[in-house]
Parts: sequence; structure tokens; C-alpha cells
Amino acid sequence: MKKKTLFLSLVLAASMLFPNVSYAADASSTRDIPVGGSGQMEMVGTVEPTILSVTMPTFVPFNISSSLSTQNKVISPRINMKNNSNVPVRVDVTYTKVDLSKLNNVSWSDTGTVGPDQIAIGLKQEETKNEMPKTLTQARWLKANQKQDMNVLILDSNQEGALYVVGTMGDGVSDNGTFNVTPTFVVSRTSSSN
Amino acid sequence: MSKRKKRLLAIAGIILLLLVTVLICYFLFTKKDNRNLEYDDNATTGILPGVDIDQRRKELQNMLDKSMIAFSINTSPVFLNGTAKGNLLIENPGNNAKLLRVSITIDDTDDEIYASKYLKPGTYIESVKLDKVLEKGTYNATAFFSAYDETSGEYIGQTGAQITITVQN
Repeated sequence: MKKKTLFLSLVLAASMLFPNVSYAADASSTRDIPVGGSGQMEMVGTVEPTILSVTMPTFVPFNISSSLSTQNKVISPRINMKNNSNVPVRVDVTYTKVDLSKLNNVSWSDTGTVGPDQIAIGLKQEETKNEMPKTLTQARWLKANQKQDMNVLILDSNQEGALYVVGTMGDGVSDNGTFNVTPTFVVSRTSSSN
Repeated sequence: MSKRKKRLLAIAGIILLLLVTVLICYFLFTKKDNRNLEYDDNATTGILPGVDIDQRRKELQNMLDKSMIAFSINTSPVFLNGTAKGNLLIENPGNNAKLLRVSITIDDTDDEIYASKYLKPGTYIESVKLDKVLEKGTYNATAFFSAYDETSGEYIGQTGAQITITVQN
């Protein structure tokens, strides 16, 4: 009888002991944090920098000729710009270097309206793909040798766009001359796109 | 041979020597003139009247396409202090086939605060130390990317990107 009681006591003690041991083994391997307990978990956040990534020209060649029959007297290449970023960008002209020294008695117009001895050059967004603008409506005019914040294009993320050089000149400006116009395009991040 | 004949021969020799010298000088100078090309003032850059506009446009397009560059930059680099490195993250992608140089100027003052050396295509700079020490604050600046021909080193043109620099301390 005593042996039987001792055996039962051992079985009871063992059945109470083993579940606790196995729980302890699990707890040590997975390190669960009890709900409502005092365990602390560090959450580390990293702010990723916004990378601006674009493809654009560094040099814009063009020709102007009074012999063109259209209102726009400029032969311009397609100025293609591509936003490779994940954010919208705007393209501005911040400065335009103009050298008219090889043209006698010719001055610059920054309004698009020219006198007999004036030249005006501007930029215009592409309306029809691969087609040079014929008119000067909605052209943005370049100011000579001074700071300017003139927006010429807004591109959504991963979007392409194109511009053309447009311009006009007065009747008194000779066709036999050269002049240099060097706009500086500056691209910046913008919050909205059109 | 008499003394007179000897004298005449000597004089003839000297004259011959002078003539040879003059001839050599003439050829040397002529060659030099050919090297320093003189451009005709009468020549006009532009389209020859009557030339096909589409053809001229293709030529202009070709020139513009050659000047195209791709670049990347962090729009808001952060510097721990005025002398620490900041995460500018400028890149000259491998498909550019041009050398790039980057110059950063503060918009309000036009002060150049950083100028890189040439970056080969397919290279990038992760962090830089500015050339001038900036006080704590936020600065609007423009990073100008100048492009150069990869083989000749000839300047092609430049374009820019607006960035905001933050100096934390």
C-alpha cells in the first residue's frame, strides 16, 4: 500500500513537473513577449533621401531665319526631358546668357514683341509630337543676362516631356550674322504635377 | 687661285648661306601659319538659304542628342555640422558617355560651397564634405552639372538641380 501511494505520488509530481519544463524550453527558444507585459521592442525608422534623377540636354542649338513663312522663325530640335525620379519635378530657366555682339545694332526683346532691330527667343511646350510650333502663342520668353525663374515644364514621376525653341526678329535684323543664347535649365522637386 | 678670286668665292658663299637661311625661315613660317587656322570673317554660322529645313532640323537634333545627360542627386542632403560629411548622393550613370563636374552654389549669395572633380560615367559620390563651412541652418542651393566630352575633355554645356541643404548643428 505504501509502495502504491509512493508510486502515485511520483506520477502526480511528474505530471505537474513536465509541462512546466517543456514550456520553459519553448520560452527560451522563441522569447515570446507576453501581451500586456513589460517587454520593450525598439522600432528603428529610416527616412530614405529623395533622389532627383533626370535626363536633359546641356546644350540647345537652333537656327533662326526670316525666310520661314510661319510666325515662329526658329528651326529647333525637340528638347526632350525625362524625369526618372519617383517624385514630380519642374524644369525652370534660371538664367540666359545672350551674346548679340556679332549683330550690329540689334537688341534683345524679352516680351516676344519685336521692333525692327530686335530679336526675341523663347521656349514653348510641345503641342503635337515631333512637330515644331508654328505660332508663338503661349511661348515663354527668355530674359537676357539676368536671373529669371521661369517655369517651362512640369513632369510627373517617370514622365517624359518636350520643349522647342521659338522666336522672332524684326525686319531690320540681317540674316548674315550669328548670336549665342545659352539658357540654364534647373530642375527641382515639386509637390504637384499638371 | 688669286686672292681676289678667293674673296669673291667667300662672298658668294656667304650670300648663298644667307639665301638658304632665308629660305628655311620662309618655309618654317609658312608651316606655322598653316597650323594657326584663320577663320573667314565672312563665313556665317547657320543654314544656307534654300537648304531643306527637315535636314537642318535633323542636324540640330543630332547636336542636341549628343549633349543629353542623365544625373541623380539627393534633393535634401543633411550635414551633422558644418565640417561633417553629408549624403549628397551624386551620380554620373554609365550610359552618359560624358564626364561630369558638380558645383554647388548657395542661391542667396551665389557662393560656391562645393566643387567636385570629374566623375567618369558609371560612378557616384555618396557623401561629401563641403568646401566652405556652413552655420547651422537650411540653405536653398543649386547643383550645376557641367558635361565634358569623355575623350577630348571639351566642355559641352551645363544644367542644374535645385536642392535644400540642412546643417543640423
